Amino acid sequence: MAREAKLARTLVELADTLVADFDVVELLTRLTDRCVDVLDVGAAGLMLVSPEGDLRVMASSSEAIRVLELFELQSQEGPCLECYRTGQPVVNQNLAQVNGRWPRFAAEALAAGFHSVHALPMRLRGTVIGALNLFDVEPGEMAPTDVEAAQALADVATIAVLQHRAALRAQVLNEQLNHALSSRIVIEQAKGMLAERAGLNMEQAFAALRSYARNNNLRLAEVARDVIEGRLAASELNPPRS
Amino acid sequence: MPGERRRRIVSRLSGGDDLKTKRLCEVCVEVTGLSGAGIMLMSGDVPKGSLCTTNAVSEIIEQLQYSLGEGPCVDAYERAEPVLEPDLADPSTPRWPAFAGPAIDAGVRAIFGFPLHVGAVRLGALNLYSDRPGGLTDDQHADALVMADVVAEAVLLLQANAPRGRLAAELEKGADFHYVVHQASGMVAAQLDVSVGQALIRLRAYAFGNDRTLADVARDVVARELRFDAASGENDAPA
Repeated sequence: MAREAKLARTLVELADTLVADFDVVELLTRLTDRCVDVLDVGAAGLMLVSPEGDLRVMASSSEAIRVLELFELQSQEGPCLECYRTGQPVVNQNLAQVNGRWPRFAAEALAAGFHSVHALPMRLRGTVIGALNLFDVEPGEMAPTDVEAAQALADVATIAVLQHRAALRAQVLNEQLNHALSSRIVIEQAKGMLAERAGLNMEQAFAALRSYARNNNLRLAEVARDVIEGRLAASELNPPRS
Repeated sequence: MPGERRRRIVSRLSGGDDLKTKRLCEVCVEVTGLSGAGIMLMSGDVPKGSLCTTNAVSEIIEQLQYSLGEGPCVDAYERAEPVLEPDLADPSTPRWPAFAGPAIDAGVRAIFGFPLHVGAVRLGALNLYSDRPGGLTDDQHADALVMADVVAEAVLLLQANAPRGRLAAELEKGADFHYVVHQASGMVAAQLDVSVGQALIRLRAYAFGNDRTLADVARDVVARELRFDAASGENDAPA
């Protein structure tokens, strides 16, 4: 299949996965495999910046320890780190001629049999979240159309990751919202139950729940739940003197 | 252009004060030109309450759906797709047997529910109604879809700034989470020595059987004008 057709098919395949429920790590790993196939390179990896600020390998086309270590190294130095910091592509780096630019990385990569390396930013508008890293055995340059294709694949990866994070955030927030609302409801129910059992009005019942919670170092919602579920009797909550 | 519609709508929300849920509702009405709007929160397939309404009729629509557990918002949330009824008084397929009558009495002729969701995360539904029968135009429908998106994101964004374990203050303002109903459930649970879940069922049954809203009945219980006696059923408390 012609290279362009391969690339088009890859993009469609990846875009298709994005609309359904997708496993982000699986998608990214598949993307790195496609990079190797479409761009005809030796290995591909996706590095993402962690919350602590360092680059970590998210997906790799190869399980070979040597390759993985090359990715890991780049949290300290290398084209990936430079690409992430500048937000710009770092391409066509002939490792035999980098002149002490990334001493440790260059030496390790050459020892592993790779002669050239490229890094494309994973970037959406102003935010750079990581980089797509490509290693090649050949020392030659990557054609401009190949660089464009690689950037397109990096863009798909970026969207996938950001979408996944947004979905997680939405889920977490919705759970927090429901949890907060449930807690509030339980507190109102407990007020009613205590008001009925101890002959109080709602304000007095609330005050009793609150001081019990404070005096016993418990959360109000916990106390309320205990009242509702019969674990805490009205008599144990000292109603305020009238 | 699709982005243009969203930009136009979002621009009505920005500027000046912090976002208020009430404004979200108002913009729905401004943009669609319908009679009223309400935002209902749901979870576990149960209505939890409304975040805001634009007028008394919208408030009734929310109350009915909360009391009865049926209606366009409930359906929209459950099906995760818009539920459209252009003529409540003369529908092509009758539905919502308990909801329709009281809604029509309140002045609702056409009613539309749009689910609120962010991706797979479902929050509730947006309610739009008109005092005249008729379906939504393509523009109104498209605007309502964008509004539902914007509302869903806004709600989560508002909650994001809340202190841990608590509802965002902004979500509580103007909202109706039916606290009086929950207080009454607690009281009736103690009166009948049953669970609060069972107490709520009893309250709903009493409201339905006496053609009153759940909130009304709950207020009477909390005011100690109505009690539920295990021995002899409900009775009005002695004066």
